[in-house]
Amino acid sequence: MNTTEAPKGAPKNQQHEKIYLHPLPVRIWHWLNAAGFLFLILTGFQLRYVDLFNLMTFETAVHLHNWVGFAVIANWFLWFFYYLTSDKITNYHPDLNVSNFFQRFFRQAQFYGQGIFMGEKRPHNVQPSDKFNPMQKLTYVFMMFITVPITFLSGLMMWDVERFSGLIALAGGIRVVNTVHVLMFIMFVMFMFVHAYMGMLGPKASTHYKEMITGYEEPHD
Amino acid sequence: MKTGPILGSLLLAIALLGMAMAVSAAEDSEEVSSPDLKCLKCHSRNLKKTLEDGEKMSLRIEAVDFDKSVHRVIGCTGCHRDIAKAEKHPSREPIASRRAYSIKHNQTCSQCHEDHYADYKGSIHASLVEDGNENAPLCSDCHTSHKIQFRGAFEPVNGEPCSKCHADINEAYAQSVHGSARTEGNQLRGKFIKAPYCSDCHEAHEVLAVSTTDYLVPNCMSCHEVAKLAHEQWLPNAAMHMKSVGCAVCHAPEAELRVNLQLYDRVQQAPVRRSEDNVTLQNKLAEIDPDGNGLDPVELWKMMLKTDENGPSSDIILRGRLEVANGVDAHRLADHSEAIRSCESCHQANAEAFQNVTVSINRPDGRKESYKADSKVLNSPISVDSVGGFYAPGGTRIKWLDALLVLAIVGGLAVPVGHFALGKFLRRKK
Repeated sequence: MNTTEAPKGAPKNQQHEKIYLHPLPVRIWHWLNAAGFLFLILTGFQLRYVDLFNLMTFETAVHLHNWVGFAVIANWFLWFFYYLTSDKITNYHPDLNVSNFFQRFFRQAQFYGQGIFMGEKRPHNVQPSDKFNPMQKLTYVFMMFITVPITFLSGLMMWDVERFSGLIALAGGIRVVNTVHVLMFIMFVMFMFVHAYMGMLGPKASTHYKEMITGYEEPHD
Repeated sequence: MKTGPILGSLLLAIALLGMAMAVSAAEDSEEVSSPDLKCLKCHSRNLKKTLEDGEKMSLRIEAVDFDKSVHRVIGCTGCHRDIAKAEKHPSREPIASRRAYSIKHNQTCSQCHEDHYADYKGSIHASLVEDGNENAPLCSDCHTSHKIQFRGAFEPVNGEPCSKCHADINEAYAQSVHGSARTEGNQLRGKFIKAPYCSDCHEAHEVLAVSTTDYLVPNCMSCHEVAKLAHEQWLPNAAMHMKSVGCAVCHAPEAELRVNLQLYDRVQQAPVRRSEDNVTLQNKLAEIDPDGNGLDPVELWKMMLKTDENGPSSDIILRGRLEVANGVDAHRLADHSEAIRSCESCHQANAEAFQNVTVSINRPDGRKESYKADSKVLNSPISVDSVGGFYAPGGTRIKWLDALLVLAIVGGLAVPVGHFALGKFLRRKK
């Protein structure tokens, strides 16, 4: 696909002007995932801290957490099969030149730490087939292929402890499974803050948010 | 001689007359068989035998009671076969004690009641007898020796026979939803129910230590068939709850609770039983917990490292279970409308249910041998492995992870604040 051509359904006034960066399935997945994770964090807080929060009963929190958990798992598969069957999978391809990757990684980190405030040009040229800078790529690969599946798996085990008792025993017991799930929860809490803030580091605070709604890259200059 | 039969008849008539007079309530005793009347000739009197322990044991048998006994049909020698076989009445034979005599005659019952006796031999009652427990029941302690009644005569609400030893439990049972229903003619909420009594849950003869019977949950389910389905409709992880939480925990709402961490062999799928060496759990743990104040998380971890004499065994785990702290409370079962339904009663920090923790091993006879543990073992990161099989979200959460969560929130806020401040600083410098 020509990266500057908008597919069907794209707003007409934006055709041939901006890069179509985030296809519709990705945007749907992203916002459902964001809402789902926020809800899971909220109900997770309620489950873990009944003595501190009283947003809903424990029983309600369990049922909501379970249902939303399944929805988020289903949503992950939507994301997974979309990328598996589309040419956008290149966004998650690892850079086999490790030295080059980390050079670009640190250049990006330097940009976030200094260049962004000095008006320097962004070191990563965003393309639909390579839209993540090295820092994003490392983070998202780690999140989507390691931490998110671990969270799903540990959550599934706790959803029905008897059904998954063999797997739980293999993992070292329900306490181990829960500890892993909570560690993931803690990481996602931190991720939410950082991710929401990084989303504001465009030309304007709203730029990347708009991109994630319309699918088109907003003008950066 | 012709006088023989006449004299014999006369003597028999005199004997029968004497018997009729001797037995105070002889009106009902016409049906006692004649060989038994021979026994009663002496044993209806206030005979006493001095035992070796000094006790004077009464040898009197109440004819009325024996006449009403289900054993009337087999007569005295049906059980006292030694007397039937002996040429001489063994009245001079020494008897060590009343208990010793009862123990000697305990297996007499097996001659007819082979199955029941086999069940009894596998019971906790028989194990206690073998251990020399003077109060452990023998056949005659529950059934009596000479006024053995049919099964329907056992009515626990009236206290017999279990209450002779378990009076406090019987009292709790009598006030429970089961006991009340039974007292009121098996009526509950206007409907007929078959309210259980002791032997319905604990068996009559194969009375096992509760810790070896999956804590009687299957017994509860045998009557409350819909309970599984009913719990599954509202209780998350219903199967796990019904396995790890005793029925009485929620259905005896006033009961004191505890978490018992039972040593369990996950390969054998059975609780670990300590060997017959009489080394108690307390003795074994004295080295690990020298001050004897209960196992803290580190001590519990050390204990698990020593579970096997040859080194740590990955097959032995601690299986956690929330249960009522004593057997009396376990019988105070309330109507289901009074059962605890609030998840919050357990799933929050410092929940009362998790303040009392014990570690246990089963004795050779199946009874539980417990040792106190600090409630901190349920909240410590050190216990992640040793108490790996027990976790209640919220209630037994690891406090160390709470601190990590606070750090994550502070860190999550610090990134934007710090980055924003850095930007301000660099722009000003520029």
